[in-house]
Amino acid sequence: MTDAIARTNERNQLFKDLFSGKTPKRVPISNPATQDFAIQYAGLDLAECQWDLTKLEPVYDKFCQDFYTDTYPGGSIRIPSHYQILGSTPIVMSSSGFMQHPDVVGMLAEEYDEFIASPYDCIVETILPRLYTEFNGPPGKVAMALAKAMKAQADDLASLGAIRAKMNAKYGFAAMVGALTEAPFDFMSDFLRSFKGISGDVRRYPDKVAAACEAVLPLMIKKGTLPNPSMLGYTFVPLHMAPYLREKDFAALYWPTFKKMVETLAGMGQSVQLFVEQDWMRYIDYLYELPENTIMRFEYGDPKLIKEKLGKKHIISGLYPVTLLQTGTKQQCVDKAKELLDILAPGGRYWWQADKSIIHLDINGPVVENLRAVLDYVHENGTY
Amino acid sequence: MIDLQALTQAVGDLDEKAIITMIEDFVATNPSGEEAQKIVFACQQGMGIVGELFEKNEYYVGDLIFAGELLSKTIELLKPVLNDVATEKVGSIVIGTVQGDLHDIGKNIFGSMAEAAGFDVYELGVDVSPSAFVEKVKEVKPQIVGMSGVLTLAIDSMKETVKAITEAGLRDSVKIIIGGNPVNEDACKQIGADAFTTNAAEGLKTCQGWVS
Repeated sequence: MTDAIARTNERNQLFKDLFSGKTPKRVPISNPATQDFAIQYAGLDLAECQWDLTKLEPVYDKFCQDFYTDTYPGGSIRIPSHYQILGSTPIVMSSSGFMQHPDVVGMLAEEYDEFIASPYDCIVETILPRLYTEFNGPPGKVAMALAKAMKAQADDLASLGAIRAKMNAKYGFAAMVGALTEAPFDFMSDFLRSFKGISGDVRRYPDKVAAACEAVLPLMIKKGTLPNPSMLGYTFVPLHMAPYLREKDFAALYWPTFKKMVETLAGMGQSVQLFVEQDWMRYIDYLYELPENTIMRFEYGDPKLIKEKLGKKHIISGLYPVTLLQTGTKQQCVDKAKELLDILAPGGRYWWQADKSIIHLDINGPVVENLRAVLDYVHENGTY
Repeated sequence: MIDLQALTQAVGDLDEKAIITMIEDFVATNPSGEEAQKIVFACQQGMGIVGELFEKNEYYVGDLIFAGELLSKTIELLKPVLNDVATEKVGSIVIGTVQGDLHDIGKNIFGSMAEAAGFDVYELGVDVSPSAFVEKVKEVKPQIVGMSGVLTLAIDSMKETVKAITEAGLRDSVKIIIGGNPVNEDACKQIGADAFTTNAAEGLKTCQGWVS
């Protein structure tokens, strides 16, 4: 057995223990820096590299070598090729080369009834053509755009997959698979009604919002289902809108279908990782109701309260402030890691991740040195 | 005659139907521009209530967005009777989401609240380069520059923008406030801004303090 295979086995065991609520040998670590960071770290042009992914093998090699991590780094990646071919408006590239999601309207308020009657048909017939310019026009042209986009995406995923396989073979990361989905209310907001639109809907037609969340729930569950639930891995669910709602709207419109979704996924025997964005402290008792061993990566909040309320039932992660890596000294950054380790690690159920992804590198800034110091510190000191 | 207190309260309650009915009835009486100005003032006071409820954690960001939408709708309805009335502005502010970042929700909330509070708001949009900020500051000579961003890369872009404003010799003529998810006190110091906020109502108070 090679060293890399042995490392993969060891790391797989860490996560199997973690996800099943057993105390692992040490605190598992995921590097919060993304592919965008890695490209800049290699000194290459961000936009150009995303259009030519074959350039990324040396980028990942250096990235994996220089920053400690137990899981394959890179983050969730939005490849520009197929988005551009489809004329995407919800996912676009900014001047910095970073792919992001502006606030867009895919569905009009007067289309709720059509959506509730048949969400899938409404998405295909009405919403996709509104969000993607190339889905408009003669059927032949639309079919061609779709074929080109899918081919480009398949090629790009194959390039990234080949690099990932090589890095795993060389560095022995945990062999994890992932799926991604959204809470029904977040999907309604992020891709259909927009942040602004849903904020009005919540007051104008709350019953329709609730019915739409129910209607789209089966699609969200399907999208979040792993190919095989017993695989090592998780469904990633980035949570968005709850902190911006009043509790009564959250309780009536956000929570019921979100809870059902997590329970259904967990009930199939797979892990679910929530990215609990912004501050959910006023909803912490709701979170407690979610199935045992749900992974919760927090952005903000009180680590002690989180550990006390959720730490015996769920798996806690996040909370490490990446802005400190931009503004703090090495000692301050390591001290923060120690502080969180002391609070969150005892008794297991802790996975070291940061509060946000690191997507940008100011080459003259302290992030590289600080991040390495923190990852090494947790690796060396996160033992049980 | 319209009950101004009831209107202020309806805006504070975000009671869309009541607000629209009152404004439509008012416009139908063919009022003078001065009378219409009083309505605008009552709505601004209602927005003040919204801001207070936000600070008390009774309203959240979604409510602020809805409030902004209601206010624009109201102003739109009043436009035909508001013409030719000179409005006194409390100050001017240039706002934009910094380079590399396309997120505009927070900036828009702040912009509509600042407008409601009587500021002249010059809106540069998203992914705004440092030079575009500098050009606008040269052109309109605002008292305040507001930079917004959600991504961590925004911190670096904000730093670059302050540097560009300084290099253009304009730093002493403006106050700079930064807002958005990744900003905090340390980031503010490093960027060289005068204030930071993650809360549009609080940011507006800071700006009001600067121009009073």
